[in-house]
Amino acid sequence: MISTFYLIGIGLFVGFSAWLLFIWAVKSGQFDDPEAPKYRMLDDDDEPAKTVKPAKKKSP
Amino acid sequence: MSRSDTSGTGMISCDHCLQETSGESSIIVEINGEHKVFCCKGCLGVYELIHNNSLDAFYYQRCGWQPGPPATEVKLQASSFSDTVTISGNEYHIELLLSGIRCASCVWLIEKFLIKIDGVVSIRVNYATHKAAIVWIGEKVSLDTILHAIRSIGYLPHPCHGNATADLFAQEKQDLLLRFGTAGFFSMQLMLFTAALYAGFFEGIEERYRLAFQLISWALATPVLFYSGFPFLSSAFRSLRRMTLNMDVLVALGSMSAYFYSIAMIFYGGEIFFDTASMIITFILLGRFLEAGSRLKAGNAIAELAELQPHEALLISENGETAMVPIASVKIGDLIEIIPGDRIPLDGTVVEGDAEVNEAMLTGESNPVLKESGSNVFAGSFSMNGRLRIRVTGNAGNTLLAQIIRTVEEAQARKAPIQGIADKTAGYFVPATIVLALATYLYWKITSASTVTALMNAVSVLVIACPCALGLATPLAILIGTTSAGKRGILVKGGDIFENVSKTTSVVLDKTGTITTGKPSITDLHDYGLTPSFMQHLASLEAASEHPTGCTIVAAWKGELLKTEQFRTIPGRGVSGVIEGTHWRSGSKAFMEENGIKIDSEQSAFIASLETEGKTVVMVACGFKLAGVIGMIDDLRPDALPLIAGLRKKGFAMTILTGDNRGVATYIAAKCGITDVQAGLGPLEKSAVIRAMKAKGECVMMVGDGINDAPALTEADIGVTLGHASGIALESASVAILNDDLRLINTLIKSSSRCFSIIRQNLVWAFSYNFIALPLAMSGVLHPIISALLMVVSSLVVVSNSLRLKKI
Repeated sequence: MISTFYLIGIGLFVGFSAWLLFIWAVKSGQFDDPEAPKYRMLDDDDEPAKTVKPAKKKSP
Repeated sequence: MSRSDTSGTGMISCDHCLQETSGESSIIVEINGEHKVFCCKGCLGVYELIHNNSLDAFYYQRCGWQPGPPATEVKLQASSFSDTVTISGNEYHIELLLSGIRCASCVWLIEKFLIKIDGVVSIRVNYATHKAAIVWIGEKVSLDTILHAIRSIGYLPHPCHGNATADLFAQEKQDLLLRFGTAGFFSMQLMLFTAALYAGFFEGIEERYRLAFQLISWALATPVLFYSGFPFLSSAFRSLRRMTLNMDVLVALGSMSAYFYSIAMIFYGGEIFFDTASMIITFILLGRFLEAGSRLKAGNAIAELAELQPHEALLISENGETAMVPIASVKIGDLIEIIPGDRIPLDGTVVEGDAEVNEAMLTGESNPVLKESGSNVFAGSFSMNGRLRIRVTGNAGNTLLAQIIRTVEEAQARKAPIQGIADKTAGYFVPATIVLALATYLYWKITSASTVTALMNAVSVLVIACPCALGLATPLAILIGTTSAGKRGILVKGGDIFENVSKTTSVVLDKTGTITTGKPSITDLHDYGLTPSFMQHLASLEAASEHPTGCTIVAAWKGELLKTEQFRTIPGRGVSGVIEGTHWRSGSKAFMEENGIKIDSEQSAFIASLETEGKTVVMVACGFKLAGVIGMIDDLRPDALPLIAGLRKKGFAMTILTGDNRGVATYIAAKCGITDVQAGLGPLEKSAVIRAMKAKGECVMMVGDGINDAPALTEADIGVTLGHASGIALESASVAILNDDLRLINTLIKSSSRCFSIIRQNLVWAFSYNFIALPLAMSGVLHPIISALLMVVSSLVVVSNSLRLKKI
């Protein structure tokens, strides 16, 4: 029956990771602006993608 | 179009800023084999910079750009920006307010141009707020370089001072989200183990599993109680010290006694109630979080008004030099300069120059107003063209704009008492529950002499009395009611507003743009018969004009247009041009008189009669003779009459408040059968009228759309605005009709009264549940687990009853 305890451990670990992910998301401002993203996708990128993409990845 | 129109006048438009420039002063440069014309060196510089960075797409993409020169010559001081920079590691962050953004392509240009600078990590420009968020590596590039780069392409950066109220609300909301999220995650985990323990209670469970599950539950409940529940604990503690008991005391006491009782039970071998303890916290935090969201929106309304206020002014010193200074250091009597396209920082009187100024945010007048020497200008309005020098008459904090902001703030602050009533009820409910719990404990302790039984029954009382269903009863019904209203295009900004709608006793309507179309239409046309094709000539003349009056005339003429030469706009007066060799003029009476056109007494009388009816009068002259007179009025919207009929059926008192003159107001009021009309009111007077109505005990609904309605919308119990309204009106109103259909106001009132009756049912259920369950808990019939289950059942009843609101 020791496997029950393993499963409990795994369950707790997954739940705890999800919680940490949530904390990260709140702290890094993922929930700050629910409005803007839907407009940004309409922006045209006439420029070569290279100059734009790295910046978008790095932005917090 | 004006760009290619070089016919005879020698005027040509600048290839960068599109402003007209005369042949002599313009600079002509050959770029890529094409001749480009610029009005000044500044424009040439900006064009070359954009061209050299191969961002020419800007010129093809832009639309809706208002002609105006770039602000390249203003001095910048990086020091005044330094206190808004935040540093994390080697990355620097700043938020800037940019002036000179005229179209969506400006956003594109600024982002593409700045990202090319080595060391700039990211840049985001918000078109709506004109704010730019920039991140850069401090070692690679200085703030000064970035600021000058922005200025070099024609935009002026300003330090962006955050709005303290809005920041505070945003912070509070994030804090609550963290606490609620944490409570949610831990409670979910906790429920797994509690379910196992519940099963064990009925079916039997091995002792080592029971102990392990109980210990894990303890560990999981602790952060929920002490981190997520911290706001309740501290509020309960504070309220205990002040000897005034609020709802938080019951929340804290209920959850804490369940928690500590459970810890004791781990050692005594009884049942645990960590789930009850943490679910109480989780549910109530959810309510708080939703409430914080609506308060954040309220804070934004003030922030948006405050954003109209520039923080710096171009001060002209005695020796004629100009310098950018913070507005706080400008004194009454100082001279300041306003460059075209910029917001006016302080109230003042024009001493030099003339310009058309957009004062829509203060007066609701959408047409720009001509300001010349001697006219008064107000902070927050902006100069569309032309440079002004003004003498300051109202310093920072004393402007008309500041006054409007204060009014909005005060009106919002006064909404608090509604919340107070709930706390007042809790003031009796809480001590009564505590007394009952204590009495239960003592009774069972004495009669059964068992501490466990006595404590279990006392906790049962606390758990069952916990205002869980009571807490859900109102907010949930409102939440569901508002979302289903939202799907029909009625945006209700949360909270008590939806409930308040059903209490409305009188409705106040704004005129322009709300019950009228906001666009004038022709009502009278007097053709004096000088030419057979009067309307054709007039429409041809007005075709080049961008004034709303001109647009109405052009729209009314369906036929062919003639060619107009030497077209000229005289701001605030009218337009003139040559059609088929004859000079035509169209405009105001003053314009006619200045050009020596005679108006006889009969014509004067006719014009006067139109004016008394509140109509806008346009006079048309052919050569030096009056050819015709046109009267226009802003007429009723087609959906205004059904709205008014619906409101009348419900027996509401109706009033029209307008900033317009009495003539128009009476005409419109008579047309829709409303007798109570008040005309010529400013933004603050409108809100004063509503305050007076409220003082008489009426529940006032205000329907308006202009920025000048903002204080009144906030002051009213319910402020309703339309989707086409200005941003500030949208933010200050509590309800927005997004698709502009006035009839939806009737739907709103109907669904709100339905929502209110559901709330009443919920409250009756929650209270009767408490009244029946409390004696049962006291008599020891209910085990705490059953109590907790009953509490969930009670909540479920409230939830499913509220869900009925989905079908409106």
